[in-house]
Amino acid sequence: MKRLMLLCLFILGLGFALFNFKGLAQQGEFDSIILDFKEEVPIATISEEIKQLSSKYNQQVHLNSIFSISDRVYIVEGDKKTLKELRRSPLKEDTEYIEANYLYHALEVPNDPEYSKQWNFRNINVEKAWDETKGEGITVAVIDTGVSKVPDLKLTKFVKGYDFVNDKDDAGDDQGHGTHVAGTIAQSTNNGYGVAGIAYKANIMPLKVLAASGGGTIADIAESIKFAADNGADVINMSLGGGGASSMMEEAIKYAHDKGVVIIAAAGNENRNSSSYPARYPDVISVSAIDSAGAKAPYSNFGAGVDISAPGGSEAGKIIQNTVNPRTGESVFAGFQGTSMAAPHVAGVAALVRSTGIDNPDEVRDILKQSSRKVQEDHLNHFGSGNLDAGAAVELALKGKITFNDFFRWLRKSGYLNLGFWIDGGAVALLPKLGMVLGSYLLAWFLRNYLPMMTLGLNGGLIFGSSGLFFLQGLYWFDLPQWPMRLAGSSIPELGSVVLGNSSLNPLFASVLIPFGLIILLMGNPSLKWFAIGSSIGVAACLGITAFTDPNVWLLGTGTFAQGYLLVNAFLCLGLAFLASQKEMLQT
Amino acid sequence: MKVIGKMEMKGFGFGVWALVMDDGTTYELKNYPPELEEEGIKVEVEGKIRDDVMTMAMIGKVLEVESFKKL
Repeated sequence: MKRLMLLCLFILGLGFALFNFKGLAQQGEFDSIILDFKEEVPIATISEEIKQLSSKYNQQVHLNSIFSISDRVYIVEGDKKTLKELRRSPLKEDTEYIEANYLYHALEVPNDPEYSKQWNFRNINVEKAWDETKGEGITVAVIDTGVSKVPDLKLTKFVKGYDFVNDKDDAGDDQGHGTHVAGTIAQSTNNGYGVAGIAYKANIMPLKVLAASGGGTIADIAESIKFAADNGADVINMSLGGGGASSMMEEAIKYAHDKGVVIIAAAGNENRNSSSYPARYPDVISVSAIDSAGAKAPYSNFGAGVDISAPGGSEAGKIIQNTVNPRTGESVFAGFQGTSMAAPHVAGVAALVRSTGIDNPDEVRDILKQSSRKVQEDHLNHFGSGNLDAGAAVELALKGKITFNDFFRWLRKSGYLNLGFWIDGGAVALLPKLGMVLGSYLLAWFLRNYLPMMTLGLNGGLIFGSSGLFFLQGLYWFDLPQWPMRLAGSSIPELGSVVLGNSSLNPLFASVLIPFGLIILLMGNPSLKWFAIGSSIGVAACLGITAFTDPNVWLLGTGTFAQGYLLVNAFLCLGLAFLASQKEMLQT
Repeated sequence: MKVIGKMEMKGFGFGVWALVMDDGTTYELKNYPPELEEEGIKVEVEGKIRDDVMTMAMIGKVLEVESFKKL
């Protein structure tokens, strides 16, 4: 009986969802309709039909332009109802199509006079996002030094906050940092004054946890997170970090996350491999910083835990917002830099995404990451999934095209929550690596008459020569350097580029030299020689495949010369393995 | 703990005073007297690490100053 009830409820829900589903075609705006008459319909018939239409709708039905005469394209003013009527009328027989004449408009540029200095907003493609949403109805909690109502926050909506440092309701800013951060999120925009903010129609919830010195206790911060979750915040921004692991903090973050709050934090400014706390907690989106040229900002933390990157600025180009000068208490437009500035960019875009109706914080995170602009060659995970892209994020949110990969989510969560490591699935191009392993085994199969296929030495050599334990390259341990992982995850030809963390191959390592040396050294040992022979075959496969997928050799470039060098060495390795195994067979 | 390093103003927010050791290890100072606010001076600071404090600068561990000596 219970099952039957559940089934009925399910069908009812499904029916309701389908009934309410709005196709994409119904979302655009239009006030006129296009009619395209078929070529074979005589002009006289068209004239008669146009005349009838004009009198029926009491308007002049006209050609779209003088260029429409030969195309037979006519425009009728009307709405959804008119469109429906026309599609049901006998005109349907004489036309190629009858469709809405959708309105396109230019991207919105705000009238704030200093907007031209906000390179960071063009970097995140925010104008395209503004076409859809400005964050209406969303509340962003700014957990920081407080927020003061400076002139360029005058039109920004505030909701009740709290000052946890001085235990009072008014959470004004005596430091200047929090007001700046709030400005990036929701500076009053299109007010003809100052600069713009990202989600400028969202509400700001000011929560003061850092004193005038810029520091605050974990206890206050944890309490403010719970306050935000209990008082209707949809997004939390924490441009702060430091200290160690704390159960109180972790519990507060879990509480807010379970209540559906998207939590964002700065990765930290120590230029080291690991996000700081609280950014490194798994339910927090950790943001690293880029400069105005799109490179990693010199101070930004990177590596383990970094989810996404956003503009944080550098000495060459800072992030400008309205804030208070703590010495004078006066309003000032100040340029700041730091991952503190990068995080509110993501918080602002998260607010835009939420205002499109995406409520699940994990889904918001997935949208932000999937829509980010991927950065090629990010071996040290400077950028996480890539650079924040507001326009693409809102577009993806509206399309609802999220593919959920539960396995990877499980890996991400249980991985770096319990085991202390973090996996970047995008760090290794998987297909070429698999190709190298398969290629080396294919080559070994051709030489199978001369090789003992099942020995550990040969198999070890094939793997080490072709691809290494490549999956280790995407593994980042908190607080540990990542190069040992890259070393263990590298094949022989890649060893030369491990410590530097770039992807061009060292010509000495990506050649026949090492297999040759190994064979000379190990030929005398009855089991290790197979490792040497396997390595030579593996290197042949690696170089051969790299020559076609990504020929990038240090000093030789990425062109035909590098490709030729790799191919010649691949053949030399194969020949060497063949000769060595022949000799082996003759001896036995 | 005792830390020897140079005073440096770091450009985060309106500026933050840091104690930078010769190997580059950076500490963010807490409760420091105004006499320490001088770019480039070498000092020995006696203090304790505050693992329960987070900051907006995020430049390193927070060192709460108990006493100091100019070198």
